[in-house]
Amino acid sequence: MSEPVLKIENLSKSYMLGKREVLVLSDFNLQVNTGEFVSIMGPSGSGKTTLLNVLGCIDKPTSGQVLLDGVDVTKLPEGELYKIRRNKIGFVFQTFNLLPYLDARENVELPMETTKKSKSERSQRARELLKMVGLSGREDHRPQRLSAGEQQRVAIARALANDPAIILADEPTGNLDGKNKREIVSLLANLNLDQGTTIVMVTHDGHVAAHTERRLFLHDGKITKEKQGLHLAKKKSVCPFCSNQIQTNEIFCSSCNKKLDD
Amino acid sequence: MAIMISIPAGAIANQESTLSLTENLGSTITQTEASINQTLTQIDCTLTPSFEGFGFSPPDSGSGSTPPDFGGAVPPSSGSGNFTPGQFGGGSLPGQFGGGPFGSGGTVAMNETLYSDIASIENVAAVAAVLQASQGENQTMTSPDGRSFTRIVPEYVIEGIQLTSDLVDNYPILPSNITSGRNLQAGDDGVTLLSEENAVYFGANVGAELEILGETFEVIGIHGSSGVEDRTTLYMNLSDAQSLTDNNGYITSLQVFAENSEAVSEVANSISDLHPELSVSTSQQRLEELQALQSTYTTALESAEASVSQMQNTAFGEIVVAVAATSLIVLFVMLYTVRERTKEIGTLKAIGFSNWAVMSQFMLEGVLLSSVAGVVGIAIGSVAAPALSGLLLPTVAVLGGAGTFGRVASMGSPATVSITPELMVIALAAAIALGTLGSLYPAWRASKTRPAEAMRYE
Repeated sequence: MSEPVLKIENLSKSYMLGKREVLVLSDFNLQVNTGEFVSIMGPSGSGKTTLLNVLGCIDKPTSGQVLLDGVDVTKLPEGELYKIRRNKIGFVFQTFNLLPYLDARENVELPMETTKKSKSERSQRARELLKMVGLSGREDHRPQRLSAGEQQRVAIARALANDPAIILADEPTGNLDGKNKREIVSLLANLNLDQGTTIVMVTHDGHVAAHTERRLFLHDGKITKEKQGLHLAKKKSVCPFCSNQIQTNEIFCSSCNKKLDD
Repeated sequence: MAIMISIPAGAIANQESTLSLTENLGSTITQTEASINQTLTQIDCTLTPSFEGFGFSPPDSGSGSTPPDFGGAVPPSSGSGNFTPGQFGGGSLPGQFGGGPFGSGGTVAMNETLYSDIASIENVAAVAAVLQASQGENQTMTSPDGRSFTRIVPEYVIEGIQLTSDLVDNYPILPSNITSGRNLQAGDDGVTLLSEENAVYFGANVGAELEILGETFEVIGIHGSSGVEDRTTLYMNLSDAQSLTDNNGYITSLQVFAENSEAVSEVANSISDLHPELSVSTSQQRLEELQALQSTYTTALESAEASVSQMQNTAFGEIVVAVAATSLIVLFVMLYTVRERTKEIGTLKAIGFSNWAVMSQFMLEGVLLSSVAGVVGIAIGSVAAPALSGLLLPTVAVLGGAGTFGRVASMGSPATVSITPELMVIALAAAIALGTLGSLYPAWRASKTRPAEAMRYE
C-alpha cells in the first residue's frame, strides 16, 4: 500500500510565450502511493493540467524527475514513451475523447490494439470492463447514442484496459451534470476502494474532490495546501465525526446523521 | 480520376486513329509513287459518253456511287481509269450499247472491235484491252458530318487482261507482287490470280478450284497489293472475263503504251482525234494528277503528324495538371482531415499509439480513399471518356481539303475512345500512388501531433 507508484522530484516546467518564459511548475515534489486516490485542485492557470500532462508522459518537464513505477520517464525517448502511456497509464479526459466511429467495446479495445492480446482476449476484456462500469448490453452503441455520463464510463473502461499502474483523470466531471457527476466520482471512488486502482484526478469542483482521500491545492505551480478527504474515512469504514462503522455508499452517517461530505 | 482516365484514353484513341490515318496516308503516298513509275508511258482510254471524266472526282453515275473512301477497302483506282466499280446486276447500265448485265458504274463498255485501229497509230508500242467489272453491294453510310451517302462496297473486282506474250513480258499490265503461286502467263486460260483479300474472301488458296459467277477457275497465284487499285482485284484472261460476265466482245478500257515517254502526248492526241468519244488520259496528265495528289497527301500527312504531336503535348500537359491536381487534392483533404482530427490523434497517442501506428493509420486511410476514388473515377471515365476527352483534347484536324480529302481528314476526328484493362490498371495504380504521395505529409504531421492535444477543451 505504501509503495510509491509515482514520485516527482524537483519538477519544473516552463513555456516560452513569445519571448517571455512562463514558469508553470517550479520545484514541484509529490509522491503518490499505490492505491491512493489523489485530487489536485486549483484555479485555472495554476498548472493542474500541465502537471497531469507531465505525469502522463505527454509533455516533457523542463527539469526534474518523474519516476513512474520506478522508471524515470523524463529520460525516455518518444519511441519508448508510448509504451509507458499504453501499459502504465490510463487517461480519462474531460471531453471523453471517444472515437465517434467506433462503438463502446471497440473504444475500450483501442489501447489493447497494439498489445500482444488476441482479438478474442481484447473483446473479452472490453466486455468485462464495460460490465464493471455498468454498461453491460451497451457494448455496440456508438458514442453519440450514449449519454455524457455513459460516455465517460466508456472512457474509464478504456483507461483501465491495459491494467495501468495509475489513472490520470483531467476534470473527468467537468462536462457532466450533477447526477452524472456524482455517479462518475462514485465509480472512480469505488474502483479505488474495490480494485485498489491508483487515481490522480484534476478538478476544480470541491464536491468532487471531497471523495478523494488526499486533496492537493495548487497555486502558481506549487502545492499550497493538502487536506485529507472523506474518502480516507470511507476507506477505513469509520465515521470521522462519531467514529462508528459506516458503509462506503452512504452519504449520511447512519449513527450521527452528519453528512459524510465536505 | 475520371479526368485522369479520360485524358489518356482519349489521347490514346486520338493518337491511334491519327496514327492509322497517317499510316493510311503514308501507304497511299507509296502506292501513288508506284503508280507514277508504272504509268510513265501508259495512256488509258475509256468511254465516257455523258460526262467529262476528270481528276479524282468520280462522276455521279447510274449506280449512285459517290466518291470512294480513301481509307476503305478499295481506294479509287489511279491506274486504270475505272474510278467506281459497278455493281453486278444492279443499277442501270450506262453501257447501253452492248454491255452485258455486268456493268461498271463510271465506266462504259466499249466494243472491242471498234478500236482495233488504235494499235496502228504511230508510236504506239502495244495496246492491252481490259475488262473490269466488280461484284459488290450498296451500302448506305453516314459521314461524320452527318450526311448520308450510298456507296458500293465491292467484294471483288474481276479484271480480264489480254494475255499476249508481248504484253505480259514487256508492259506492266499485271501485278508485280506475287506472294504465292505464279503470275498469269501468256495463253493462260481457266485460271485466275487472286489478291490476298480475294483469297480471304473466297477462302481459296493456290491450286484450289474456285467457282466465280458459276464458272470454275483454278487459282494460279496470289498477288499482294502493289498499287492502290488492286487490293480486291482478281486477274484472269480477257476472254474468260468477257464470257464470265456475258460481255463478249466488250472491254472497259484500253491501255495504250507509247514507244517512249516523249511520244505519249502525241499518241494521246492521235487517239483523241481518231475517237473523240474516248476519254484519254495520258501518263503525263496522270503523273500531274498523281503528283498533285501526292503533294496533298503529303501535306495531309504532315498536318496529321503535327496534329498528333500537338495532341500528345496537350495530353501530356493535361495529365501533368491532372496528376498535380490529384496529389494536391489528396494532400489538402488529408491535411484537413488531420487538422480536424487533431484531438482524436492526440487521444490515440495519449492512450498508447506509437507514431508509426498513427502514421500508418493515416497512410492507409489516404490510400483507401484514393483507391475508392480511383475505382469510381474509372467507372465514370469509362462512361464519360469520349465526351471528356472531346472537351479536353484538340480533335485531329487534318487539312480539310475538298471532297475526298475531307473524308480522309474526317477519319481521324470521331476518335473511338477505348479504355483498355491495361489503362484501367495504370489509372488505378496512379490513383493509389498519388494517394500515397498526397497522404505522406499529412500522415507524418498526424504522427507528430502532440498527445497533449487530446487535452484541449472544446
